[in-house]
Amino acid sequence: MKQRLRFLHSWPVGLVACGLLLAEPAVAQVGTRPAAQSGARMQGTVLDDKGEPLAGVTALLNEAGATGNPRGVATGVDGLFTFDNLKAGTRYTITVSYVGYESQKVNDFLINAGDNNSLMVRLKTENKALTDVVVIGYGSQSKAKVTGVIAEVKGAELNRYSGSSFGQQLAGKAAGVVVNDASGQPGTDPQIVIRGIGTLTAGRNPLIVVDGFPLSEGSSLNSINPQDIEKLDILKDPSSAAIYGSRAANGVVLITTKKGRSEKPTVALDVYTGFQERADNVKYVDAYQAAQFFTEARDWGYVSANPNTRSATDDRATRLAKGASLRQLRLNYLQPYLDGTPGLTNTNWADELFRKGRMSSYNVAFSGSSAKTNYYVSANYFDQQGLVINNGLKRYSGTLKLDAHLSDKLTLGASLNPSYNRQQYFNNNADFSTDPLSNLYIMYPFFSPRNADGSLAISQEIKANTPEDGALGENAVALATQIKSNRDFFRTFGNAYLSYQLLDGLTFKTLLGGDVTSNFFDFYNPSYLGGYRTVAPKPAVASETRSLNTNYLTENTLSYTKQLGEHSFDLLAGYTYQLENGSTTLLTGSGIADDNVTNVAGASAFTATAARYTWTQVSYLARLQYSYGNRYLFTATTRRDGSSRFGSDQKWGNFPSITGGWILSNEKFFPQNKVVTFAKVRASYGLSGNNQIGNYSSQALVNPANYVFGNTLAAGFAATTTANPNLGWETKTSANFGLNLGLGSKLTVAADYYRSITKDLLLNVPVPQQSGFTSAIQNIGRVQNSGFELELAGNDIGLGPVRLGFSGNLATNQNEVLALAPGQQQIIAGAVGQFITRVGGPIAQYYGYQLDGVYKTQAELDNSPRLAGTLLGDYKVRDLNGDGVIDNNDKQTFGTFNPKFTYGFSSNFTYKSFELSFALVGIKGRKIYDQQLANQEESGEGFGVPNTYYFENRYHPVNNPNGTLAQPNLGNFSSARRLVRSSNIFFKNADYLRLRDLRLTYNLPTAWASAAHLTAARVYASANNLFTITDFRGFNPDATSTDNVLTNGFSQANYPIARAYLLGFNLTF
Amino acid sequence: MKKTLFMALVLSSLLGTTACTDSLVQDPLTSKTQANFLRNETEVEEYVNATYGALQANGLYGLYLPAAAEIPSDNTYDEVPANDDGIYGQLDQFTAIPTNSIATSIWLGSYISIQRANVVLNRIGGVSYASGTTRDARTGEMKFIRALLYFNLVRLYGDVPLVTQETTDPNVYFGQGRTPTAQVYTQVIKDLTEAIPVLPATSSQAGRVRQTAAQTLLAKVYLTQKNYAAALPLLQAVVATGRHALQSNPANVFSLANENNSEIIFAVQFASGLNGNTLGSIMFQQFSPSGTVSGAKGHNLPTKQLYALYGSTDRRRGTYLDVTSAGTPYSKKMAAPTTVITDGGSDFVVLRYADVLLMLAEVQNELTNTTDAATNLNLIRTRAGLAATTATTQADLRTAIDLERRLELVGEGHRWFDLQRSGNAVTIMNAYFQSTGTLVTINSNNLLLPIPQSQVNTDPSILQNPGY
Repeated sequence: MKQRLRFLHSWPVGLVACGLLLAEPAVAQVGTRPAAQSGARMQGTVLDDKGEPLAGVTALLNEAGATGNPRGVATGVDGLFTFDNLKAGTRYTITVSYVGYESQKVNDFLINAGDNNSLMVRLKTENKALTDVVVIGYGSQSKAKVTGVIAEVKGAELNRYSGSSFGQQLAGKAAGVVVNDASGQPGTDPQIVIRGIGTLTAGRNPLIVVDGFPLSEGSSLNSINPQDIEKLDILKDPSSAAIYGSRAANGVVLITTKKGRSEKPTVALDVYTGFQERADNVKYVDAYQAAQFFTEARDWGYVSANPNTRSATDDRATRLAKGASLRQLRLNYLQPYLDGTPGLTNTNWADELFRKGRMSSYNVAFSGSSAKTNYYVSANYFDQQGLVINNGLKRYSGTLKLDAHLSDKLTLGASLNPSYNRQQYFNNNADFSTDPLSNLYIMYPFFSPRNADGSLAISQEIKANTPEDGALGENAVALATQIKSNRDFFRTFGNAYLSYQLLDGLTFKTLLGGDVTSNFFDFYNPSYLGGYRTVAPKPAVASETRSLNTNYLTENTLSYTKQLGEHSFDLLAGYTYQLENGSTTLLTGSGIADDNVTNVAGASAFTATAARYTWTQVSYLARLQYSYGNRYLFTATTRRDGSSRFGSDQKWGNFPSITGGWILSNEKFFPQNKVVTFAKVRASYGLSGNNQIGNYSSQALVNPANYVFGNTLAAGFAATTTANPNLGWETKTSANFGLNLGLGSKLTVAADYYRSITKDLLLNVPVPQQSGFTSAIQNIGRVQNSGFELELAGNDIGLGPVRLGFSGNLATNQNEVLALAPGQQQIIAGAVGQFITRVGGPIAQYYGYQLDGVYKTQAELDNSPRLAGTLLGDYKVRDLNGDGVIDNNDKQTFGTFNPKFTYGFSSNFTYKSFELSFALVGIKGRKIYDQQLANQEESGEGFGVPNTYYFENRYHPVNNPNGTLAQPNLGNFSSARRLVRSSNIFFKNADYLRLRDLRLTYNLPTAWASAAHLTAARVYASANNLFTITDFRGFNPDATSTDNVLTNGFSQANYPIARAYLLGFNLTF
Repeated sequence: MKKTLFMALVLSSLLGTTACTDSLVQDPLTSKTQANFLRNETEVEEYVNATYGALQANGLYGLYLPAAAEIPSDNTYDEVPANDDGIYGQLDQFTAIPTNSIATSIWLGSYISIQRANVVLNRIGGVSYASGTTRDARTGEMKFIRALLYFNLVRLYGDVPLVTQETTDPNVYFGQGRTPTAQVYTQVIKDLTEAIPVLPATSSQAGRVRQTAAQTLLAKVYLTQKNYAAALPLLQAVVATGRHALQSNPANVFSLANENNSEIIFAVQFASGLNGNTLGSIMFQQFSPSGTVSGAKGHNLPTKQLYALYGSTDRRRGTYLDVTSAGTPYSKKMAAPTTVITDGGSDFVVLRYADVLLMLAEVQNELTNTTDAATNLNLIRTRAGLAATTATTQADLRTAIDLERRLELVGEGHRWFDLQRSGNAVTIMNAYFQSTGTLVTINSNNLLLPIPQSQVNTDPSILQNPGY
């Protein structure tokens, strides 16, 4: 003992290694221990407070006074549990616990010989605030004692929404956690924003930690099977997150996966299947309306270029003679449509490109535990068809988790999560040549996707529209079905740990984790397809991308727990080292002779691009948790991180935090009452960091810039970035004040106010281009976030025979830029300058003109200040400053994508064997800039197909004189019209209230289940996104297709999210 | 045993920690860094190549420079003005907005290349070369490129920030504002004057800057400044070298098989089928009439009025330019790519001997030497299969030379600058718009492009040009 203590004293220097290996024999030796003696049996019954048997209750059994891992079993549908092989005459401790009920412990239960031992336990429903344990970084803590802000979401709650990843399931489930389901393409990760955006140009992904293993930033969430998730704990405030230091500023999501509980091996089977359909409001005009629109646009484009000499009645020859450009001619094939001839081709391209997609999941999990080990093994197959044809995701994943208590003091465990994802993908990047979805609005309804014989109609629109330069898009159905873009993701992550109790209360734990991802992307675009403005055949293109990323973590911690009378101490100290390597090779093939071999192997010439990176992080961490008399709570943490990403002069950063709480309801003076049963106030203050700036941003990188002399390649290299040796951490300092109340035995309330200031922002600052560069990454400026969060939950409330549970949340978030670069007051961003980030305002405000209707008379046009080039039928721009000139000084701000507040409400009702649950999620005070609406569907530029809203409200002096939206114009679309793309009418309201999930479950009667040797059986019907109440006319009010915070809310992606209808069942046996 | 285990832990950790901390220094694995680059001749040569390479950018001679120097003029127009966000159409109809990406890309592309030249000029003195002559030549090449780009910038934007040093901290440029045109010209003349004596008369590699290129460019600068006396000896010197000559047949000037012929003085090099089709140009595709080849956009097409100016015997008709079956004129100075349409192999000719002769004629005419002026003008006319000029007076010759420049140099990025140099740009363009029935009237504000909005936004000391 003495010797061990000496080691302890020498500890802080460096207890642990970055690559720690243990001698195998040592583990094997301590692992052997005599088996338990056979003998007596006991049986128990567990009832709820109404005397009904409870199934699935965990009963744990240990010899009185023993500290080892208890034996565990679960109750059957009759509420019975049994332990065999007990030692007669020995006293045992039996603990019975069940989610939603207060655990009960039976001490010193004396076992008689034989099976004459029975016990009846009646469980009372619990008030969750008092008893739950939440996971915190590098440990766990009872909920009553938590002083930080940690949102806990149970796996059962998440899985009421059926989907590929927990990210989508998290929407609306926790206050201050905004999930933007930015694309409905299966396999796309949603954007998770915790307590607003504190950064400007560094990454904003929260850190995801699975069973203690921090995943690489931005790593796909799809490789985690949501049905393996026991629960999520989201560390929202810096005092909780500070333990993760430089990666915690965007919040931390801790995932705890399931583990075996019951002594009897349990098999759980979960299966659901169903279909999905579009859940958006997009509606394009039909062919007859489109014909009218295109003709109006081309006529006015022609006439407005010179109204003195031109007339809409001029025929083609006259127009050409008067110098008309191609887009000022009428499309040559529209006359029958304009004449209203019935029965002409009238394709609804959206119906052709979208479909009802199937979604199914098959999940089987084996779990169990014995005196020394518990295990959880699962396998999952998930198959989701995309709403777009020929698009989808298949996932095969497994989980293996094992914990073994080798002795009273030594525990080891391992978990392994292999997965294989296959995505039938397309790059939703607004490239007309390959992206079928971005082609949707330029697919004229006058053409069919298929010929009469059923074959794909190739290049039909391109050929037909060439004479008048209409949209020249290739058949979107052909693009979707004929371009191959498969993406395979193999990933295995997992960890192994060993924990050893050195002394009473003192435990050492070492963990070795790894994450290996190997991806293979296979792309082939055949020659028989055209592209934008390109009639088939064109040269085929093939490429493949291979990448391998490996991430290793060693983590060594020492924890100490001590109770001294009323004083309770928990100490933690640790060291971690993480190393990530990545490499990618892109091979592109050209000179493809035919479409026989549909991959790079068919090419005759190749180019390769290779990239590699390494980053490392070294960290020291420490935490002290202290409480006195279960009334006064105090925690201090600190972490010191070093990262290879930062400049040579700024490698290390320190991230301390402190927090305190006071449980008033445990005070003697607190009046014992039935109304307020629990009360806690808490405060926290701390620092966290953000290091998401890429791996080599602090260095001036020199990259290829080749030239050719004559026809001889001359290899060239030049700097493409500037160096910044002072580049360091972005530091977020945050304070949080909170209150928890327990009301009666059923209700809990949590309220929090926070304010944080992020300084030394990692800002990709635009610099004067005469420097030879457009931007440079620097630590500059400050941003403040503040907000209020309220959570209200009720548990097991009886309403006659119906039992009700609910949880609601409301959160506000406001950010304000306090400073930018020295001397810099604002950053204007976006293709048409539609975003402004200025000191004193929030990040990325929409910025532009206020429009006041349309010019309908020449006199009105001539007599008002206007943008240069304004035509009749264009918008009136408000002269905001009244100086008689319309210029940049007449622009104002119009809100942000970041909502004013968000809310969620979920509830479940139980009546006899039925259970009904639903969850609502809402966004209020959000604006979005949808580029398709602004540039095409509602712009009146007669190039793409408009939506019905624009068509019905467009101004046309004859056909729609009362219209309020600018007149269709193609051939003379004015600069003024381009400038007003940055204006109020295109900053769309994107508030919504969505029924995120709805589920009706029927639990099969116990008699039936028993007859089938089942522990439990249930069937359910559920729906995702059943309705969304919103004014937004685009595909998705959550879509923000950019990672640049300065243009947050710029939406280019248009993959609609899905409404799903599903049927499923769970069987446990 | 437990003690041993624990000892092992402590020991291994002590051994490991130092290694971990060292690993915090990670150098890029697939990029070089400026800190360990430009240390020897090979690496400086790579930077020189990259400076040339930057000239291929779409913002420069890959696409936009010729467009910005022709479309506003009466030589060319944009067939589909609303296409590509209207960026070409705005130049054609003088409605450019400060976010017009032609205006923003030329600005950025120029300064990227200028900065590379600055880096080489800053470093090359400290690096030993096997041959001092080579090192001097590289100095001259970089100065030529820097001068060429600043010359373009002042003609397109007016005052522009002048930077001649290597950037170590980009923040120092905040608040610097725009440098007066005269000061930029002083630098341009200085660079070219210093480049001429160190540049070689001939080069081992096609496409490198030679002495005659710097002489021709400096003459053009002086001509722009109407300093005819200074321009004259430079142009005469170019002629006197005997290294350049007109191709006998106009068809040979731009032929892909005859690139870098004796008529070419400086051309930005492009080649198709190299390095994953990254060294070709997309100009052919973008400047072909809409619908004629895949992806054709009809940007920067010769106007019908210009095409009508070629006489029926003019050998340049059918070789320099032609008409489609629909009667749309198009340029043939860029060869059609054979495999990938965006990978054109034609070089972009910046300076050629025909331009030298026409400049010489102009200078001589302005210096009242009408005889020699007519002789030089006639060299071009004769090659085109035309009779000698009938103009004899200075005014008539001025008109004749101006017309010949249009006919000979169409599409090569001269006309808009020629119009500006003549001082008649506003009058000529307003007359042109009237003749085509287009409702456009311009004033002197329209002679300059807008300063990129991003630059005005980034640094308020960069003031916008009037009228934008």
